[in-house]
Amino acid sequence: MSDVALSPSGRWILRAFFALVVLFLYAPIVILLIFSFNSSPVPTFPLSGFTFHWYREFISNGELRGALETSAIIAALSSVGAVVLGILASLALTRRRFRGKSAVSALLLSPLVIPYIVFGISLLLLFHTIGVPRSLFTVVIGHIVISLPYTILVLVPRLDQIDASLEEAAFDLGASRLRTFRSITLPLILPAVLSAFLIAFTTSFDEYAVASFVVGPRVTFPIYLYSALRFPSQLPQVIAVAVVVLVLSLTVVIAAEVGRRIAERRLGTQ
Amino acid sequence: MATEAGAAAPLPRRRRLRLDLSTPALLGLPLGWLAVFFLVPIAIVAAYSFNVYSIDPGPHSFTLKAWHDFLHSPIYLKLFWKSVKMSLAVSAVVVVLAYPLAYFLALSGTKRKYVLLLLLIAPFLTSYLLRVLAWKVILGDQGVINSFLFWTGLRSPDHPVSQLLYSRFAVMLVLGYIWLPFVALPIFVSLESLDRRLLEAASDLGASRLQAFRRVTLPLSLPGIFAAFLFVFIPTLGEFVTPSLVGGASGYMYGNQIVDLFGTGFPDWETGSVLAIFLLGVVAVLTVAFARFLQPGQVATE
Repeated sequence: MSDVALSPSGRWILRAFFALVVLFLYAPIVILLIFSFNSSPVPTFPLSGFTFHWYREFISNGELRGALETSAIIAALSSVGAVVLGILASLALTRRRFRGKSAVSALLLSPLVIPYIVFGISLLLLFHTIGVPRSLFTVVIGHIVISLPYTILVLVPRLDQIDASLEEAAFDLGASRLRTFRSITLPLILPAVLSAFLIAFTTSFDEYAVASFVVGPRVTFPIYLYSALRFPSQLPQVIAVAVVVLVLSLTVVIAAEVGRRIAERRLGTQ
Repeated sequence: MATEAGAAAPLPRRRRLRLDLSTPALLGLPLGWLAVFFLVPIAIVAAYSFNVYSIDPGPHSFTLKAWHDFLHSPIYLKLFWKSVKMSLAVSAVVVVLAYPLAYFLALSGTKRKYVLLLLLIAPFLTSYLLRVLAWKVILGDQGVINSFLFWTGLRSPDHPVSQLLYSRFAVMLVLGYIWLPFVALPIFVSLESLDRRLLEAASDLGASRLQAFRRVTLPLSLPGIFAAFLFVFIPTLGEFVTPSLVGGASGYMYGNQIVDLFGTGFPDWETGSVLAIFLLGVVAVLTVAFARFLQPGQVATE
């Protein structure tokens, strides 16, 4: 079967090409890792010695810690908001019939394609026009809009997979719609809800473009990073933080994906 | 008072909750949120572009002046065209590179294809800014590549390879690096859903592998290719973060111009709004024109 698509030598060439691309994708991350332990204040060859200095320095950097904390708060609030809105919308899209469904679904997904610069400016002008000062909450509002379509993209396929007759049975047996949702639907879509939450969280935690327009006096981590990138003296510290964040996010992403697959296999798909 | 109501009326409350899961109740919150914080803001930008709103005090009225100036300005449209060319080049290169990767994963019969796919995509799910930072460290005049060249004596420290950073090349390299992992996904999905029996039939009927690829596989994976292309082209066209970090003057893009018009130096919100709405219009037209290739399921169901 597969030999129709690929000759043995073609398969080797593609395998080598795949390995090269993976190398290209991970090399910059590995280079950051190496230089985060390098004692020289500028990231240049030859390497000058091993140190934990930059890690210690960033742990004691209050401004940086504050920015990480602000981003964590914003990401937590906006991901909860996006997941709640996403569940409501996905239930309507998969379990209800109504007119204009394709238009509604297009609107719900449209934040996926809007250039973030246009959206950031739009929010800035909205808050300017209605006289709302920029703060943590203005960023949360923007991030909910951005994350909402991602949560829907994760939740809708899962809702489509589970057997709607389970819900109908519960409903016929006298459970309210809310009870049906709580005891039947929610447990079955829980893995997808968690992965939607993680996607929304990481989207918000990393988001710079929109936040840069609507952020208040408390800066987020990406905004701190962006301004730190302009001062070479802060570079080694920033590299150390970068390594921590990259490794953490890679771990979370892989763990979430593996966990979701295991959980969904266990819950079964109809 | 709250406890009184809670103790007195368990039944009506239950009924209310039941009503809360009707279609309008389900859709009310998400659609309302998008209306207030997504559609209305865009309408306000449009209003600014027609001078209906303005940051300048004093009287102002509807005018097409900013649009007229924009369409007759040699600077803005030229810059837009430059950004289009840069984004087109990045998208094309990235799709061409990603296609064999997706082909390998989907059709080589490898057992670990989902592990390898995750390996490929994982960098995309990490911090955008930090990946740009990595390239800034690598490409700088005193950066990893140059200092490596000095160290090995291939280049003298007085003459670093200085076109690496702060150039159009740097912007395109970094954008390509950022989008490459993601682009393989829609192509993979379209190749994965391909009916293998078609390839066997082609082979049984005497087609060579190349013929089978050109006449069967490639045409059937076109939707994935289009989707992949747009997924890169649309965000890179409005990009301003990467060019501002690694682009210098020659990597300046349309998005940077918009930021500067809303910036602190000489803000011109009216012109900035025109540029923003124009970009949004182009993206909207592209999205609608290629909507049938942008099936949401393509992204969601790896």
